[in-house]
This record gives sequence, C-alpha cells and structure tokens, in this order.
Amino acid sequence: MKRVVISGVGAVSAMGNDVSSLVKGIEEKKSAVHYMEGWDQYIGLRSLVGAPAKLINEKTIPRKNRRSMGRMSIFAVQAAEQALSNAGIKHDELTSGRIGCIIGSTMGSAKSLNETFEIMLPQKDLTQLSSMKFFQCVSHTAAMNVSQCLGITGCVLATSAACASALQAISVGYDLIRLGKQDAVLCGGAEELHPTVTGSFDVLFATSSNYNDKPHKTPRPFDRDRDGLVCGEGSGILVIEEYERALKRNSKIYAEIIGYHTCGSGMHVSQPDKNSIASCLRQALASASVSSDEVDYINAHATATIQGDKEEVKAIKEVLGDSIPVSSLKGYIGHTLGASGALELIVSLAMMEKGIIYPTMNLDNVSPDCQGINHVMEAVSKDISIMVKNCFAFGGINSVLVCKKL
Amino acid sequence: MKHKITENEIIAMTNQVFEESFEIETEKLQPQMNIFEDLGLDSLDIIDLIVALQQKFGVQIRNDERVRDIRTLEDVYRFILSLKNEEH
Repeated sequence: MKRVVISGVGAVSAMGNDVSSLVKGIEEKKSAVHYMEGWDQYIGLRSLVGAPAKLINEKTIPRKNRRSMGRMSIFAVQAAEQALSNAGIKHDELTSGRIGCIIGSTMGSAKSLNETFEIMLPQKDLTQLSSMKFFQCVSHTAAMNVSQCLGITGCVLATSAACASALQAISVGYDLIRLGKQDAVLCGGAEELHPTVTGSFDVLFATSSNYNDKPHKTPRPFDRDRDGLVCGEGSGILVIEEYERALKRNSKIYAEIIGYHTCGSGMHVSQPDKNSIASCLRQALASASVSSDEVDYINAHATATIQGDKEEVKAIKEVLGDSIPVSSLKGYIGHTLGASGALELIVSLAMMEKGIIYPTMNLDNVSPDCQGINHVMEAVSKDISIMVKNCFAFGGINSVLVCKKL
Repeated sequence: MKHKITENEIIAMTNQVFEESFEIETEKLQPQMNIFEDLGLDSLDIIDLIVALQQKFGVQIRNDERVRDIRTLEDVYRFILSLKNEEH
C-alpha cells in the first residue's frame, strides 16, 4: 500500500475566504454566528441564527463554468483553487487522469432547489426552468463543477452522507491513492446555508433556538446550556497525495493520513449511538495501527445537540480515555454539515503545525452528561503527533480519520 | 388599448437579455453577430435564451420550430417581432 499525505489546503468559511482568515478567526476566539435577517418570516422556524460565508469574486470564474454552479459550488471551486495553489500543483497536471476530485455535500444547492420549486410548482409549469437548475441541484454538484472548471480527468466522486460527507470524501481519496489508482485527489466538502437547511434540522428540534438575540453565544458544544446546532456554510478542500510524489515535488506536507473508518449504526436515523461511534473509533485506530495512548488530540464532531454531544463523549471516554484533549470547532463557524469534516480538519492541521489546541468556544460549564473527558476550554500548547477527527451524520453514519505529523 | 411594442424596444429588450443572462458586453451586440460563433452561446445557453425571452416578452416559444433557424442576433429580433405581429 502506498502512503498518503496532505499537501495542500483551501477554505471558504464564515470567517473569511481563505485558510488564514479561518485559522486567525478561531485563534482570536471570534464567533462567525449571526442573526439571520428575514428568517423570521418562516412560520415555525425557531432557530434564526447561522454562520454565513461571503460570496466574493465569483465572476473570476468564467460564465460557462459558473452558470452550472450554485453558491456551494462556487465556494468549492474557490477552495479547490486555493488548495491546488497551496500544494503547488499546476492546472496542466489535472488533465493527466491521475488526479481525482471527491467532494461531498448533504445535497445540491439549497437556493437553487428552492428556486426550481418556486418556478415549477405554482402553475405546475416546467417551461420557465433554466437548463442549469439540474446541474446546480444534483447531489454531485460540487464535485462535478470543480472537476469541470479545473479540467480534472481523474476519478470524480461525490460522497453524500450529510455531516460525514467530507471525511468520507477524504477517506475514499486515501484509498484510491493507497491502491495506486490515483496519484493525488482534491477532496473535501461543500455546503450552503439556507432557511430550508436550518429548517430541516429545526423540525427535528436539533437546532439552537434560545440564542436568537445573542448569536455569538451559540452553538455551545458540551456545555450545560447547549440547545442545538447552528448551520454554517462554506467549503474545505484538501490536496491529498501519494507520499513519494509529494516528496519529489518538495511540497509542504501537513500530515500523513494513517487510517480511517466509516460505518453505519444500523439503529436509528437520527439518534446517535455510543456503541456505534465507539466501534468506529476503535476500527479507525486499528486501521492506523495506533493505540489510544498515542493519540494527542481529538477534534470532536460535537455540534451542541443534547444527544449527539453526550453520546460522543461516552464513546471517546470508552475508547480513548479521559486524558486526551478534546475540542469542537462548531462554536466558531457553526456546523458546516457536508463541509465540516474538511474545514475542521484544516484547522486541526493548523493546530498540529503550531502546537496549539484551540478550545471549544462557548463551553463555559461542562454539562454533567458530557463530563469524563479532557475538554479544552482555553487554548493550550501541545505537540500534536497523532490526531483523530470525528464526524457523525444523521442516518447513523460515522466517520473517523486518523492523521500523523511527519 | 394595448401598446404595440416597437422594433427598437424589441432590440433593446433582447440585447438586455444577452447582457443579463450571458454577460455579453453591449458593444458586441450587433445585429449581424452569430450567437454561437461570435457571442459564444452553446446548446444549453439556447434553452436559457428561450426561457429568458419568454419571460421578457411574455411569449411561449419553447416548442416553436422557428427557434431552430436562429443564427444571428438579428434573427432573434425578427423572430420576436414576428411573434408580436402575430399577436395583433
């Protein structure tokens, strides 16, 4: 099996439109969560907060490429361009067939989906529909648009597993490179903030609704006063590459991917399950040939839902014990769903590089049901050699990635 | 009485569709321009051109065979003009 390293990163998030603004915002303990103007017109929508990214410079993407892109695909293309540039991979290498593109998301562009229904449904009339709506709405819209825009001719795949989408994309890319099917893969996730997206969690009572008048105070992962998730948006894209190739190119290597696991709970579509999370953690560590005492940091999924945080804590405690530092990044940038695995991994790589662990924002009082693990409540200096990244999705889908500093 | 749209209004409104929907600079919008070769539209754009013209002029042209004969911007002007004349 070939070794796989991360050699480039790119990000668009509510903190800004590059990796440095994302890391800087988190380092400065800023919250990118805001009150969403206009959302109060939706009857029954309790959560009126979100972490919106800014759509900027989209016209630098040629119209013929841009026309098939919704908001999330534009974010993905911009993050992918950054990741390529960061990795030092030139555009002409993308047509070799040896570089792939795997980008996941919960679904296609929510805005475009809504526009489609608004055009089509009132009169049950399809004659006013743009030819581009299909390309903006499909589940593989981000992967498709990035590969078309950049001319990528390798494997193009879209992992669609809600909040586990990006981590699954990276894991699939890892396997393709390990098996020698691709030399490098642009992989990650993209997502778009929209009242219908927040609404879909809101009807399940999984969103934060008590902080509409103080948005910076939510979400509150692991906290006593947590009351649910806050949706965010953006895209995180990483270049993962065969180790020898990255060495030959003298590329910066952020970390080596040494293992992963993804599995279903087989129990319930929305109730997280400690046993299934623990099983995923164990199998990820086993695939990396790492024992629990070798792990230096766990970047939690922790979205600030009552059930999810509690079950994740129980699983971490059971598999990894009570001493490894754990933090969640959702208090800063919200839950970016399909993009979260990649965006949060990128920030975790920055922590690894700087030797600092960023704390869980808004974790003021650890909830009694989230005790028993080493919560990071203030930034701490620590050498991170091996880290674990968790992502768990509705549908009972777990995903865990293990990375090692070289 | 319904206002009869003038030829100049049709030209201006059609040009507006090309500027707004296809981001084509005003200077390029000359009647003799081939909408494919000179203005860069492709088959997918034609679907969106039809939708945009339908909305702009309040017409239904999706199944009109004459759309297939359109090559130049002037063809678009003439096609819309003929549709409007048929209304009166």
